[in-house]
Amino acid sequence: MSTLAGKKKIRPSTASLNRFGPGAQAGFHLALGLFALLCIIPFVFVVIISFTSEDSIRQIGYSFQPLGWSLQAYRYTFQLGDQLWRSYLNSFLITAVGTALSVLMCFLYAYPLFRKDYGHRSFFNFLSFFTMIFGGGLVPTFVICKSVLGLSDNYAALIVPMLFSPFHVIVMRTFFQTSVPMELIEASRIDGSGEYGTLFRIVFPIVTPGIATIALLVALGYWNEWFLSLLYINKNMDIIPLQYLLMRMQRNADFLAKNSAMLGADAARAAAQLPSQTLKMALVVFIVVPIACAYPFFQRYVVAGLTVGSVKG
Amino acid sequence: MKRFLSLILSLALILSLCAAAQADDLPTITIMFHGSNVSDDAAVLEKVNEYIADKVGAKLEVIWGTWGDFDEKATNALATGDSEVDMLFTCSWSADEFNTYAKNGFFEPLDEYMDQFGADLKAALPEALIQAATVEGPDGEKHIYAVNGFKDTATQNTWDINVTLLGELGYTVEDVQKLGFYGWGEIFAKAKEVKGDSFYPFLIEPAVAERMVTNSIIITGDSGSVNLLSYYLDPADVTKADAKYGDVILNKFATDEFAAFTKQMREYYLAGYIDPALAVAETSNDTRSNAQKTGSYLIGTQSYAYGYEYSAEVLSRGIEVQFLPCTDPYVDTTVSQGAMVAVSSASQHPEESFKFLALLNSDPALMTLLNYGVEGVHYTLDDDGLVVFTDARASYSPWTNGMGNVTLLPDTQAEGKGFREAFKAYYASGKAVPILGYIFNNEPVSNEMAALTNVAAQYSLALCSGAVDPETELPKFLKALDDAGMAAYLAEANAQLDAYLAEANAQLDAFLGR
Repeated sequence: MSTLAGKKKIRPSTASLNRFGPGAQAGFHLALGLFALLCIIPFVFVVIISFTSEDSIRQIGYSFQPLGWSLQAYRYTFQLGDQLWRSYLNSFLITAVGTALSVLMCFLYAYPLFRKDYGHRSFFNFLSFFTMIFGGGLVPTFVICKSVLGLSDNYAALIVPMLFSPFHVIVMRTFFQTSVPMELIEASRIDGSGEYGTLFRIVFPIVTPGIATIALLVALGYWNEWFLSLLYINKNMDIIPLQYLLMRMQRNADFLAKNSAMLGADAARAAAQLPSQTLKMALVVFIVVPIACAYPFFQRYVVAGLTVGSVKG
Repeated sequence: MKRFLSLILSLALILSLCAAAQADDLPTITIMFHGSNVSDDAAVLEKVNEYIADKVGAKLEVIWGTWGDFDEKATNALATGDSEVDMLFTCSWSADEFNTYAKNGFFEPLDEYMDQFGADLKAALPEALIQAATVEGPDGEKHIYAVNGFKDTATQNTWDINVTLLGELGYTVEDVQKLGFYGWGEIFAKAKEVKGDSFYPFLIEPAVAERMVTNSIIITGDSGSVNLLSYYLDPADVTKADAKYGDVILNKFATDEFAAFTKQMREYYLAGYIDPALAVAETSNDTRSNAQKTGSYLIGTQSYAYGYEYSAEVLSRGIEVQFLPCTDPYVDTTVSQGAMVAVSSASQHPEESFKFLALLNSDPALMTLLNYGVEGVHYTLDDDGLVVFTDARASYSPWTNGMGNVTLLPDTQAEGKGFREAFKAYYASGKAVPILGYIFNNEPVSNEMAALTNVAAQYSLALCSGAVDPETELPKFLKALDDAGMAAYLAEANAQLDAYLAEANAQLDAFLGR
């Protein structure tokens, strides 16, 4: 009886160590739920605006409950036709190729930096880290890219400038350090594995979470990139990505707003040609949906990456 | 995956090789325009290149800069000495400061070319426009640094009046004129009564309204994003300075006129005559153009260009519109440098570039081709010989005024016959303000300007739109401006103005033989 009572006493106390009380639970749910809402509401709003009728926006502005609904913006996007789909395709192409190349470079650069038996480690460490602190600035970068590397009006101009990121190398190197023991590499050498075999058969499977994390960051970077198009694409508008198409509309509107007093009648004329608010939001939907769909696939690795690190610690 | 990658990479390589291998016997000259909406220029450029092959001896390529991208692209091309860009649009009103670039040696001086190849161009342009493009270079001497566009070469600010609604309220345009800005309260009140509470009768661009009410003009070289300086004109005769102040540049925000204006705006704002969205920089322009489009306003501000009332934008509002001018059209430095094309000093073909610009600005056939497109494709001619645009125009709409001499263009059906002639006559009548040609070189006080601009950005729009109370905010604003170095900024501007006027008078004396 006493043991039973003792057990009864002990059980809730150990359980309470691992479990929050219902009040705290509710609090956490509420806080996290609110946070999730904060993340999702802007997007829902954008979707609503993209389906709002122009009249409603004119009369009451953006609203969760517009006066009228309309498919006008989407109809118009489809009429943009070639340019829209080409830009959409470009976005996918640039992101896919850019991510693959960038991750490969990052992986191959970070690996030797992690190997303590590599003699020039500190030099190459410094080489990449230095660029993180001291950038070249816009003008020299532009000259190198355009005049020396010939990155102008071609796909390469949209991919090459973002291929290498010292930050990603550091993240990757740290990931190697925390998840790949040197003993493993030594063991595989003893077992007769060559350097490439060790890298791709032994190390690669261990660091897939890290690679996925980097890939997600890089892919996001490429997907959202528009400034490179502004800099390097002058004549060949067939290769611009969707982001730039949208940014161009936005920047046009901003410029006209800023200079309307100077441009006078011309500004009014140009503003009349600008795409509507709803169209912009429809394009945002086009841009966000694919990347939002990609998240769940990466998420698994990102979570795995987090836990791998903590278990070792 | 590997096969796919190598395919893509080799494709990219081939593409870039193709781009590099476009060499021809004729040199290629490239021009960068502003404000274009062009997605398909193949047909036009083919014709242009046919046309200019003998006359210019070069092939033309065009970079169709858009409103939002031009400044960045142009700055980049100039700063990096990009020899791929031979000619670019330039002006004195946005970030691409013509005068600064000329002074810093980014543009090729064109005097020699003008003497050699510019006979037709000189005949086609008014002398005043060539003068306006003649500014100080890096050697301290004045040179022609651009081919100035012949467009709406005078500024005229007007009240944009919804005559249809005004009639419904029982007023006429004469009433509006007679009552004046300070007396419109009763009309606005009536409009509010008739059209309901969500109707905002006074549709303004606050900064423009300020200039219209106080009869002040922009000082070229002043901070571009928020003007800090004013020069007051005599509204009855724009060739004279306002008698009260004379030939002097003033702190825009410290005058009695500014105080009176903001006080009245505050009254109108509190009475609900002004849409609060107009007081926010981000929403101001969208709100204004939306309300204009639907004709839901009573009195607005509009910087006017001749023939604007017949343009599609105004006709499609579905109301009768009249533009009531505040003053006669006047020519100031800013408008006389409103749209030009300069030759980059990095260009390897300055001679061909100039020849092209001279031809473009003096030859109606070339100007029409590059501006309106190919006849039969982008436009057709009706029985009277007037231009009617086709649907293809949607993929080829350059910014007409940004290209050059628009007086060479044929009349369009919308404008009516004789439009360009009337246009030329109208702007020939533009009167020069007393300080035409004065360019404030802000370099010695650039730190003060940056600080002052920051301060003004915080207050100016809110005050000019009536969103804040001038009783309490204006003194704070003036204090902040003083702290940011307004006195030094103003002194520098006036010292330069005095020097400029002294020199101008000396020249005039010499000319008159005194």
